[in-house]
Amino acid sequence: MPEKKLHLKNVMKSFGGKKVVDVKDLTLGSHSIEGLIGPNGAGKTTLINLITHKLKMDRGQVFYYPNGREVDISNKSLDEIARLGIVRTNQIIQDFQSLSIKDSLLLSLSTPKYEKFYKIFSESELEKEAEEEIEKYLDYFHFENPEGHALSAGEKKLLDIIRCLLLKPKFLLMDEPTGGLPQDQTEKVRDLMKKKTSEEDMSILIVAHDLDLIWDVSESVCFMAEGKILIQGCPEEIRKNKTVAKKYMGESDA
Amino acid sequence: MVELLSGYVMYSLSYILIFVALATLLHLQFGLTGIVNFGIVGFWGLGMYVFGVSLLQYNFPYIVSLILATVLTGVVALALGRVILDLDNQAILVATLAFATVVRYIVTTEKWLTRGVLGLGTVPFPFDLGQYSQFGFFLIILLVTIALLLYTYKLGSSPYGRLLASIQDNEILAQSLGKPTFREKLIFFTITSALIGFFGALNASVEHFLIPHVLTTGVTFTVWIALILGGRKRILGGLIGVIVTIGVLDFIIETYAPIPTAYAPLVPNLKYMIYGLTLMLILIFRPLGILGEKKSTKILKVIRKL
Repeated sequence: MPEKKLHLKNVMKSFGGKKVVDVKDLTLGSHSIEGLIGPNGAGKTTLINLITHKLKMDRGQVFYYPNGREVDISNKSLDEIARLGIVRTNQIIQDFQSLSIKDSLLLSLSTPKYEKFYKIFSESELEKEAEEEIEKYLDYFHFENPEGHALSAGEKKLLDIIRCLLLKPKFLLMDEPTGGLPQDQTEKVRDLMKKKTSEEDMSILIVAHDLDLIWDVSESVCFMAEGKILIQGCPEEIRKNKTVAKKYMGESDA
Repeated sequence: MVELLSGYVMYSLSYILIFVALATLLHLQFGLTGIVNFGIVGFWGLGMYVFGVSLLQYNFPYIVSLILATVLTGVVALALGRVILDLDNQAILVATLAFATVVRYIVTTEKWLTRGVLGLGTVPFPFDLGQYSQFGFFLIILLVTIALLLYTYKLGSSPYGRLLASIQDNEILAQSLGKPTFREKLIFFTITSALIGFFGALNASVEHFLIPHVLTTGVTFTVWIALILGGRKRILGGLIGVIVTIGVLDFIIETYAPIPTAYAPLVPNLKYMIYGLTLMLILIFRPLGILGEKKSTKILKVIRKL
């Protein structure tokens, strides 16, 4: 079982006086894959935005534990946090409109070693280094035309996930990774998540409304409502919990 | 022949090349990275005057003055960029425009340094080849401009160029992939602005006589219009745009078109009207300029296969 990756203390964020996230104490990444569920507006995406510092928290602290060290990431910027190994996929489709699928993946794999204004001849070196890894993903997910742009919403969504995986994160936050994907692609993403977490030092936190997916992959699930983490436990526990049933799934499902 | 190599034609061609370089640098800043630099004339003028002051007031050697102009413009760009580059586009536009105005006023008012409106004096060529000096200098400008175009071409298909394009497309997403976007924008803005200063210093020898009037906002607008006309996303967009605007309108028509003397005073005004009309037509029918956006990937693929 992996060690914990993140520890949140008194993390708070409000928008216009309304508390959107108010997490007293939360440990994440102690399992390979953890789920985060909750009704719409519970603050799930905001919580991810706070961890990755896409949004600034009003107060609170976030600690990160790569290889047993403790790093306070409360005041680090989005790009610093990503370089430390905490990466997120996006719920709302994000893309680089002028980059082709392959370019987009090369961007992700490229490192500061290549990204210097005077290194204008390093493209072939980067391509050679990256080729094998990119091919692996392109073979796994079939893109219509890898040299062209991602056309459908589904392709863009997959591209977003692959870009993140190429960064080899230690802690990956996936916000609705399968939303809008067809069934076969959803299964591919699911299998890849399991494979990656079992083979590499990577933990995943997945936010999804697709509860079948959550029950299937998660070893631990957090339930969030009105900005608070109400309960954290193994999937069976969460499924049986009365509060969760009432707040989220409706009585009949329980 | 000597007349051709020393006179107005060489001056015109040198001037056109300087503007090709400026438009290409704007392509790098705006077309590639998305930095809305409306203070081109500021960096250009700063380079020109630092060079002029260093050469004429302090008698530093030509090369030293050239380096000093480039480096100082870069330092100023670094300081300005540090403050403004994480603002939104409108704010960057206004700030750079204001910067250019500041440069012009300093040049006009600090008479002890620049001799103000009287002009700084005559800037010589870096070498004396008699009648061929102007031609020699033209060749130097041609070489550095070609070097700049080659750099731009290679940068467009390099990891760094890809990073800059990603910043323009979606800066937050680039950051979430771990790219330090602000730092890279700042570095690139500094370098390209320093180069604008470098071409300003070269322009001092082309102009011969430096007066503050050279530094009007018209320079910035001309470069912008040229790049937008030619195609801001394209490496040769600046080149095509400058040829169409300054080349055809400023030089060929003003010099060679048989315009009756009575109408000659109208030409400069007509020129701006034609600029405006062309710009409007281009923006309506080809929003991305004459060259458009699409890199003809098919042709590139065929070339690669050969």
